[in-house]
Amino acid sequence: MSNAVSTAPRAAVRPASSKPTEQRKTALAWLTLPALFFFLVFAVVPLAGVLILSFASWDGIGAIGAAGLDNWFSVLADPGLYNALGLTFLIMIVSWLVQTPISLLLGVFTAGSQRYRAALAVLYFLPLLLSSAAVAIAFKALLDPNFGLATGLGLPFLAQDWLGVPQLALGLVIFVIAWQFVPFHTLIYQGGVRQIPKSLYEAAQIDGAGTIKQFFHITLPQLKYTIITSSTLMVVGSLTYFDLIFVLTGGGPGNSTRILALDMYLRGFRANLMGPASVIAVILVIIGLALALFLQRLGGKDKQGSQLEGL
Amino acid sequence: MVGYSAAPNRGLGTRLRRLNIPGGLGGWLWLAIIILPVYYVVITSLKTQAGYFGQNPLALPTSPTLENYQMVLEADFATYFINSAIVTLGSVIPTVLVSFMASFAIVRGAGRFLKLVNGMFLMGLAIPLQATIIPIYLMIIRLNLYDSLLALMLPSIAFAIPLTVLILSNFIRDVPNELFESMRLDGCSEWQTMWRLALPLTRPAIVTVAIYNGLHVWNGFLLPLVLTQSPSLRVLPLGLWTFQGEFSVNIPAVLASVVLSTLPILVLYVIGRRQLLAGLTAGFSK
Amino acid sequence: MKQPQTSRRSFLALAALTPFAVAATSACGTSGPGASSGGGGASMWYLSGEPNQTTMQKAVDAFNPANSADKITVTYFQNDAYKTKIKTAIGANQAPTIIYGWGGGGLKTYAEANQVDDLTGWFDQNPDLKKKFFPSVFGAATVNGKIYALPNQYIAPIVLFYNKDLFQKAGVQPPQTWDDIMSLVKTFNDMGVAPFSLGGQSRWTSMMWLEYLLDRIGGPEVFNAIFEGKPNAWMDPAVIQTGTKIQELVSADGFIKGFSSITADSQADQALLFSGKAAMMLHGSWTYGAMKKAGQNFVQNGKLGFVPFPTVAGGKGDPKNGVGNPAQYMSISSKASDKEKESAKKFFKDGILTDTVIDAYINSGSVPIVNGIENKLNMSEDKEFLNFVYGMAKNAPNFQQSWDQALSPTAAEALLNNIDQLFLKSITPQQFAENMNATLGK
Repeated sequence: MSNAVSTAPRAAVRPASSKPTEQRKTALAWLTLPALFFFLVFAVVPLAGVLILSFASWDGIGAIGAAGLDNWFSVLADPGLYNALGLTFLIMIVSWLVQTPISLLLGVFTAGSQRYRAALAVLYFLPLLLSSAAVAIAFKALLDPNFGLATGLGLPFLAQDWLGVPQLALGLVIFVIAWQFVPFHTLIYQGGVRQIPKSLYEAAQIDGAGTIKQFFHITLPQLKYTIITSSTLMVVGSLTYFDLIFVLTGGGPGNSTRILALDMYLRGFRANLMGPASVIAVILVIIGLALALFLQRLGGKDKQGSQLEGL
Repeated sequence: MVGYSAAPNRGLGTRLRRLNIPGGLGGWLWLAIIILPVYYVVITSLKTQAGYFGQNPLALPTSPTLENYQMVLEADFATYFINSAIVTLGSVIPTVLVSFMASFAIVRGAGRFLKLVNGMFLMGLAIPLQATIIPIYLMIIRLNLYDSLLALMLPSIAFAIPLTVLILSNFIRDVPNELFESMRLDGCSEWQTMWRLALPLTRPAIVTVAIYNGLHVWNGFLLPLVLTQSPSLRVLPLGLWTFQGEFSVNIPAVLASVVLSTLPILVLYVIGRRQLLAGLTAGFSK
Repeated sequence: MKQPQTSRRSFLALAALTPFAVAATSACGTSGPGASSGGGGASMWYLSGEPNQTTMQKAVDAFNPANSADKITVTYFQNDAYKTKIKTAIGANQAPTIIYGWGGGGLKTYAEANQVDDLTGWFDQNPDLKKKFFPSVFGAATVNGKIYALPNQYIAPIVLFYNKDLFQKAGVQPPQTWDDIMSLVKTFNDMGVAPFSLGGQSRWTSMMWLEYLLDRIGGPEVFNAIFEGKPNAWMDPAVIQTGTKIQELVSADGFIKGFSSITADSQADQALLFSGKAAMMLHGSWTYGAMKKAGQNFVQNGKLGFVPFPTVAGGKGDPKNGVGNPAQYMSISSKASDKEKESAKKFFKDGILTDTVIDAYINSGSVPIVNGIENKLNMSEDKEFLNFVYGMAKNAPNFQQSWDQALSPTAAEALLNNIDQLFLKSITPQQFAENMNATLGK
């Protein structure tokens, strides 16, 4: 009886609109046109442009000529390229190693329910608000061997020539990048942790698991997609740390912080070699794409699916 | 009942209390690392140049002065602020608008075209803006837009779209199908559904992407560096850089410019912190 | 139900369009300095930094009221930022009417891209103007036999400055040979004072050292060969010796600690000299005027000493040879309108090097490139320095233009980069020469 009642109304309330579902769904396609326009014209076309320019010879001032494979040969034979590549990957990996654990732990920390943690969190997120230029300038002043923190805190260790010694400059760059971006990733992890259902922890506690066990067996696995998101943003983002390094060290001292993006800019706009600079740009894009693909593979194909499934 | 509700709390409290000592220590240490530079910047900006050279860097200024701030304001920082505001609004609003529409189509629609578009946007996530700066420079020149604020907006919009679409589409995907069905049953077209249902429900994510993109554009440096030249069109980060280059011996003035350039966002942060932070997390934690 | 929808949508649309509208109007307003309101008047970009900024502004302020149809508008940029910005502007066809530069390889790039006007004919029509200047200044303005720039301002040789107070305290004399320098380095380090101030981050400041050293050791022929692009020209033993000597100086702590993060633009390097933190400084003659202004009477009280660059034992170069900028140069953008070019030329003729301006330069311790100023120099309170510089300009058998201006921008950038590394001791003099060899002919 109830079956008949439940089916009948459903049959009567078939789609009010007369258009078949399929047609309506594909008609939605035009909604993407504005976004597509911007993206194609100002992202995809320049992308093609980079490839084309890598085969051109242009000094940024005169006319653009053809250069065939010359730029590619000269750049690939230039040790400067490998220096830049090495530095970029070094900074990328070390940054990840430094930032992820700190952000994760801080994310868990700030997701806790104590009041003082919320208060601390307010201050933690301050660096998020600053532009890279501002951060770089502030640190330059801070680390002045004569008038900066070193004298203030009375720590001679801090009075090094941070920006003048190659290894120190590199270390400083990694530190400042972490200082600026850990808050952002902390936020992401905090959000991720807050989404973990308390029921899982309660169940674990009933089973007698301690805090550390809970962290490794519940928190970390539940944060899988958060880790992938944060890592993707971090890794792809690290390819583009232009602003901070440009203002902080300008690529120096010497070439010790001349990452790929900076190398490209300096080659193109200072040395007037737009062709070779475009070669570097192409390399940047290839690396970016490869990394993104790799990380997507790592995250599993169902990244698109809602994470609420199964809960 | 009282016993039942009290027990889990006590359990939670004990668990977290045990985490406290290393966690707490770490937390306070990180706080020091964050706050110290900020503190240094603020108090130095209130010192005179002589005071800066004379006093202990971490000591509070003996005779605090606002003259540095005056100097910075006289150096056209108000103009830079307005430029930044124009560029940010002019980038974020179109980005969110077009991305929202595209996300809706991708989630609710079907067909090869939409799958293609989605895939393309996903690939776009991996393209660094920096890599395309040279052709963009060339294009902007040919379009006669060199040295204009518009030149800063267009590429910013294009490169913000992939991530915005990703986040927004994730959110829209979580809207239960039944709600869409009921809209359809009410006789609403997809267009109406988009604005009446999807938009309000996606609001947390929209706030996220608006804030994220806004911060990005506000603090952007490379595009203004390459695509603008007139001092009257400088945005804040560029103005900051130029100022510090010229006055780098006058550290208090330079740091005052840093504070001033951050002040607007700081104010927003103080006012709408909860919304800001909640907004930033909502979209990413999916 | 419909009302809120439409109003929300239209609000969004309006909000979205407003920034574009504002931007569009502001874009129109600044569609480039080259395309001003159609009338006359010319735009100019110039370097910020005293005292020259004030001098140029005064020149413009004196010219404009008398020439209302040809008003000059100046925008000031910092040195290092300017060098990049001007290239971007020229490439974008948004260059100012009057393009400031240092001649040589940079000017050649502009000329060969047809971005600057050939002024040879104009000079022929104005022979008085041509005769006004030192004859030697036209070399750097000439490309393929044609003159593309107006020589301007002052001659700027590189001078070895020293702090007389510190020298008195140490009881030593200013250096005359390279060996003197090395011993002075020890003396001052023992005293706790940096021997030499250096704004190493700017790199062209470090380059000055190499310019003089190479000239003293091997004579001007070595760089001439490089300039002409002769194969392997950088591998000359004089180059290697130069690199070796400079690294010896670095290793002996000859330069102030942290020199590679000090920029010249901020004038921090000059501050180190007049505040007594460094004993000597090798820098352009224009810093005399800058130090006069910022040094709190250091210069006026006679504490600033100056000598020519010392000789190197066994060197082939004439000790009277000079190194530096023979002049500064102003070109006219070929993309400017005819009216703008006329205004610019008028300014060139009547405004840029008037007697008032010449006096201003002399007052700030610079020697204008104008003939017949000996009396004026002698009447100045800085006559000792001015005559020193003037003598250098007049009597130098060879005056080498700054390398980074003589060479093409591409080679120059590689040069500055390699010099940076040489001073950091990250590359050997041999590697330096090899790296530079690869840029010959570029």
